Amino acid sequence: MDTPALDLDEVGVAYGAVTALENIDGTVVPGGSVALIGPNGAGKSTLIRAILGLVPLRSGRITVLGRAPAAARREVAYVPQADTLDPEFPISAGQVVLMGRYRRIGRLRRPRPADRAAAARALDQVGLADRARDRFGTLSGGQRQRVLLARAIAAEPRLLLLDEPFNGVDAVSEQALLDAIGGLREHGAAVVIATHDLALAHLACEEVCLLNRCQYGFGPTEATLTPDRLRATYGGHALEVRGDSVIVAHS
Amino acid sequence: MIAPFTQPFMARALAELIVLGALAGTVGVLILLRRLAFMTDALTHTVFPGVAGGYLLAGEGGVFWGALAAGLLTAVLLTLLTRHRAVAEDTALAVLLTTFFATGVVLVSRESGYTTDLTAFLFGRILTVTGQQLTQTLAVAVVALVALVFLRRPLLARTFDPGGAEAAGHRIGLLDLAVNAIVALVVVASVRAVGTVLVIALLIVPAATARALSDRLAVIVPLAALLGATAGWAGLAVSYDASVRHGLRLASGGTVVLVLVGLHLIALVGRRLRLTRGTA
Repeated sequence: MDTPALDLDEVGVAYGAVTALENIDGTVVPGGSVALIGPNGAGKSTLIRAILGLVPLRSGRITVLGRAPAAARREVAYVPQADTLDPEFPISAGQVVLMGRYRRIGRLRRPRPADRAAAARALDQVGLADRARDRFGTLSGGQRQRVLLARAIAAEPRLLLLDEPFNGVDAVSEQALLDAIGGLREHGAAVVIATHDLALAHLACEEVCLLNRCQYGFGPTEATLTPDRLRATYGGHALEVRGDSVIVAHS
Repeated sequence: MIAPFTQPFMARALAELIVLGALAGTVGVLILLRRLAFMTDALTHTVFPGVAGGYLLAGEGGVFWGALAAGLLTAVLLTLLTRHRAVAEDTALAVLLTTFFATGVVLVSRESGYTTDLTAFLFGRILTVTGQQLTQTLAVAVVALVALVFLRRPLLARTFDPGGAEAAGHRIGLLDLAVNAIVALVVVASVRAVGTVLVIALLIVPAATARALSDRLAVIVPLAALLGATAGWAGLAVSYDASVRHGLRLASGGTVVLVLVGLHLIALVGRRLRLTRGTA
């Protein structure tokens, strides 16, 4: 059997005395996909940071592509939320995507034709081939998110981590993101998506991990997203289904 | 505008201002994009006790090394403060700035030429730049530019997207320390020539002007360097011309800054015209 792309074993994270995550378990195979689902502050971003090796674990172990997280970073790509970035920054979409090649290019060398070709291909995969020269900040929110996904694709990752990639994204961009993520998975990359949108979790991922400090379920999307589990995870808070708020009440 | 520079002291002043203008313009782009203007202002004040202490210990020759020590110490403290966020960042900066500055004032007040020294620190003495100072400025410029070239990709990644850069394995703390140290070096190199009040203008205005004129970093960086150097030359030439030909004494450093601000205003008008034409 292949080495799992990601293996979580009794993972716990604490910030000082505050427990952020405890007893998280699960495995993602190459080409597999899992949606991290839970309310704001549930620890989705913390888990992503832990998988990147950026926060120390209080307990348990994370294995990424058979290695410790920090040692595997070269083959892991992370896609932040586009709206956290400065829209005034003087950088073109093409330059942002080329950042995904920085590790291969090195510090001083000029980008090789292979690097430029990979960046162009990645931008094409998210449907923005003709926008390479446009300034990043002039693109729509959804297009910026697609550029950031293209940057990750250009890095040729074996594990892709996305933090709320569908927030404030229009329908066209949403479909382009889903298609590009699907394309990566066909090439064997595993995908982890933090989202609070259950419908998109359904569309994008085969598996879900229900999270609110501890784990309320991990498994195939259909079987895991049960009303009981959702109620337990959200504790009666509002949750979002394709932009509409739905209240899950305590029974 | 060339004739005055045949005199050795004017030639040295010109060379110093051109090197500083180009260097500060380049580094200023980083300050602009990282929004570090206030931190830079703090640095211009915190080198003061180094200048004063260096002078007390070793005379004129100690000034550069004292400023360098204080500047690099501040760079380290600023990096640690902003990393751990024990207190709000601007509060921490303000406390650090005034503590250092007050220490400098106490040190200087022990000397008899107190106000003269303070004035020189605030406004610089560009016309008395020595060959040794020029060499030090050149050395600083080389160190800073080599560091910028070597770190340009990690710095761009960190400046644009800190979270993404950290995830990609860039050491954010070390990069921030490098930036703070580079800014400190520029401040230290500039302080005797143009003074602490004016160095902030050299660091901020050319970069802001270049940013107003272009959306491309490949244009902004060289343009900022060119604007800084040009303002240095023009400001010096204008102040010399005014005092020699017209008997009008204009402080060189101040004139340089006014030229910079004038160029900035022209650029803003130019940008407005360009935008209006673009939407018409």
